[in-house]
Amino acid sequence: MAAREQVAVQEEQVPARAEWEPRVIAFLCNWCSYAGADLAGVSRIQYPPNIRIIRVPCSGRVNPLFIIKSLQQGADGVLVSGCHPGDCHYISGNYYARRRFALLKSVLEYVGVEPGRVHFSWVSAAEGVKFSQVVTDVVESVRALGPARTLVRAELRSRKA
Amino acid sequence: MMDARAIDKGRIVGLLDELIERCEVFAPVMSDDVVLFDKIAWGSEARLDFGNSKRLPKEAFFPPSEVMFIYEGAQAEAPPSKGDRVLFGIRPCDARSFLLLDKVFNTPDYQDAYYVEKRERTCVVGIGCNRPLSTCFCTSVGGGPFNEEGIDVLLSDLGDRYLVQVISERGRRLLEGNGLLGEATESDLREGNRIAAEARERVTSMVETEGLRDRLMGMYDDPFWDALHQKCLGCGVCTYLCPTCHCFDVLDEGGEQRGRRVRIWDTCQSALFTLHASGHNPRPSGRERMRQRIMHKFRYFVDNCGEIACVGCGRCIRNCPVNMDLREVLSGIMER
Amino acid sequence: MKDLSQQIKEVARSLLQDGKVDLVIGYENGSLPLRASPCFIRSAGEVERLIWNACCETNLATYLPDTNDRVGVVAKGCDARAIVVEIAERQVARERVVIIGVPCEGIIDRRKVASRLGWKEILQANLEDGRILLAGDGFEETLPLEDSLYEACLTCEQRTPPVYDYLVGEPIPAVDVIDPFREVTTLESQGADQKWAYFSQEFSKCIRCYACREACPLCYCPECFIDQTQPSWFGKTNDLSDTLIFHVVRALHLAGRCVDCGTCSRACPMGIDLRALNRKMIKDVWERYGYRAGLDLAAIPPLSTFKLDDPQEFIK
Repeated sequence: MAAREQVAVQEEQVPARAEWEPRVIAFLCNWCSYAGADLAGVSRIQYPPNIRIIRVPCSGRVNPLFIIKSLQQGADGVLVSGCHPGDCHYISGNYYARRRFALLKSVLEYVGVEPGRVHFSWVSAAEGVKFSQVVTDVVESVRALGPARTLVRAELRSRKA
Repeated sequence: MMDARAIDKGRIVGLLDELIERCEVFAPVMSDDVVLFDKIAWGSEARLDFGNSKRLPKEAFFPPSEVMFIYEGAQAEAPPSKGDRVLFGIRPCDARSFLLLDKVFNTPDYQDAYYVEKRERTCVVGIGCNRPLSTCFCTSVGGGPFNEEGIDVLLSDLGDRYLVQVISERGRRLLEGNGLLGEATESDLREGNRIAAEARERVTSMVETEGLRDRLMGMYDDPFWDALHQKCLGCGVCTYLCPTCHCFDVLDEGGEQRGRRVRIWDTCQSALFTLHASGHNPRPSGRERMRQRIMHKFRYFVDNCGEIACVGCGRCIRNCPVNMDLREVLSGIMER
Repeated sequence: MKDLSQQIKEVARSLLQDGKVDLVIGYENGSLPLRASPCFIRSAGEVERLIWNACCETNLATYLPDTNDRVGVVAKGCDARAIVVEIAERQVARERVVIIGVPCEGIIDRRKVASRLGWKEILQANLEDGRILLAGDGFEETLPLEDSLYEACLTCEQRTPPVYDYLVGEPIPAVDVIDPFREVTTLESQGADQKWAYFSQEFSKCIRCYACREACPLCYCPECFIDQTQPSWFGKTNDLSDTLIFHVVRALHLAGRCVDCGTCSRACPMGIDLRALNRKMIKDVWERYGYRAGLDLAAIPPLSTFKLDDPQEFIK
């Protein structure tokens, strides 16, 4: 009955910007990107601590629904990173992933999720520096957009970071 | 009806505005080419020149989804109750459906708290149907275009004014002290009766329902169902637009620490509806599910509750994507 | 639209008489104005029920996976494309189906017609000479057929079934539609806030009835993602986030498969513009991977394959 009220609810209750830190979920493939993140760590490279890493065997394992569910559950941004094309540990997982992610990113932006929330990268095990740059990029891009406000569930919207 | 008043059509907006000051008013509104019932802020938003709404007034008592309670840790909290409200512009078929739903959700043995508390704070202002649609068959299932069942105040469109008849005590209290309503004259009442009788004559869809339940008794294994269900897509639109459908699912959303329990509409036309955890499904195909729909509405409900669970509104007929026509189904059954 | 009923009846009659099929699925007259209804016939004597006109909207491909009968099915261009996808995805065996292809000049959009009449109830409708003659309580109106066609028909490039066993009537040459994705590019060009406002508004009408999913010939998963539990992906209430996500994911699951027959939009009781999402996916798949669904029985679905040089401009 309250079909028209629902849309109005979306505008309520955004947390104060000053207190908020972006929360970015990062799906990293075990063989390349996760190792690249580890290399960044042992090299003592500083980068924003706002990412929460989920290790997956391959970027091809990442179901687009993981990304959508992350956004719905309150992630302000999502990063998926895998091996460079041609270097996939499972030969072709990242090729399939590439097509899937292209369509996912495209449709999310089409319905109004801000470009700059969902990111994809190829980071190899040797690219510690690149990993830190990617994360810095992603976090700053999300910070500029503010807390998640499109797909996030209404009752999660008002939480403080 | 002892208490009969009248109001000029031009003043109905004022009446609605007055009601809005006292309580929530839900009226038919046009939203993107679809008539549905929604809360109105101004009397002028209401549309009373419509056949029947697409979405159902039953949503006021049994919404498509509602939160039963939210929980945090070991604490659970039901949603707060809201105040009185008026459902305005309800067709007699839909009003009758409320009484049929009462037989499910508000019985001597069982009262559904969520449903009952909404019923108790709602006044139903009905409007008779001067021009029933070609798909209306209310008179075949115990209803009629100016019937009073389920209605607290009944409006009749007399052309330039509405006859306003108080049917129940709740309706009387709603209109108590209202300055916009005048007394109905003798000629108003005569005109009201004439229009009601004429409306009944205008119902062209007739379905023989006398003996329908008995006919269905012998039909469980009849090959009639084999042919009937073929074109049905199992899309469930009939169930989602039916004033008397009342099946629901209860789901928990959330995690260990916090979440909520919700009730949502469900449909017997879904294969999942009767799917057992073992994998067995007693209604494995559209044939059994279509049979179930007809049996439930025209036989089981009659046996359990004494009434046909159909009000003849015709929404299922108009909205079915493959033009499955309930009138043809019922006459097919009677011809077996 | 040419009246091809006679030819359809003859093909159906010969298929049934010769025992080549157990069942013919076609269209018959409906019980309401401007309606045709799917018709299932099993004997040659029943073929007189079959009709063909601009009201034959249902995509009959949706019935094929559920039966083991040998079936003759009347198929417009879009319907036949759906059958091609069903065959390519092994839901239907090619040998089991006899496709009675019908070149189609477009199907009537009943909502468009009703809207033009101010939503007054239509009591009678007749089709003749490219016009629709309508009558109701106290009114009569004639509308040109070409102004009353379904949106998907206006951008249809494949009016003749690409695959068929019999073709009824003359093939209609493929049309080069100018700017077929105009509505999509218009939406794409708007800012994120405007897009969100449009989609929230449109999809807040959804009542989660799943008619779109049930009507779609290609939504045949025994368990839909939305029904999965333990754990569940997304909620099933009318919550806007859950509702919009259901439709986005359904469109994603149809990416590279949807043939834009429009059955979902027609089945939707609330009149939601579901095709806005599906058209976007069709455009992306065409522009990025050069693929259109349902034209080639041997084509590999685009998400089951890849090219070494697939575009990756969006990847850092």
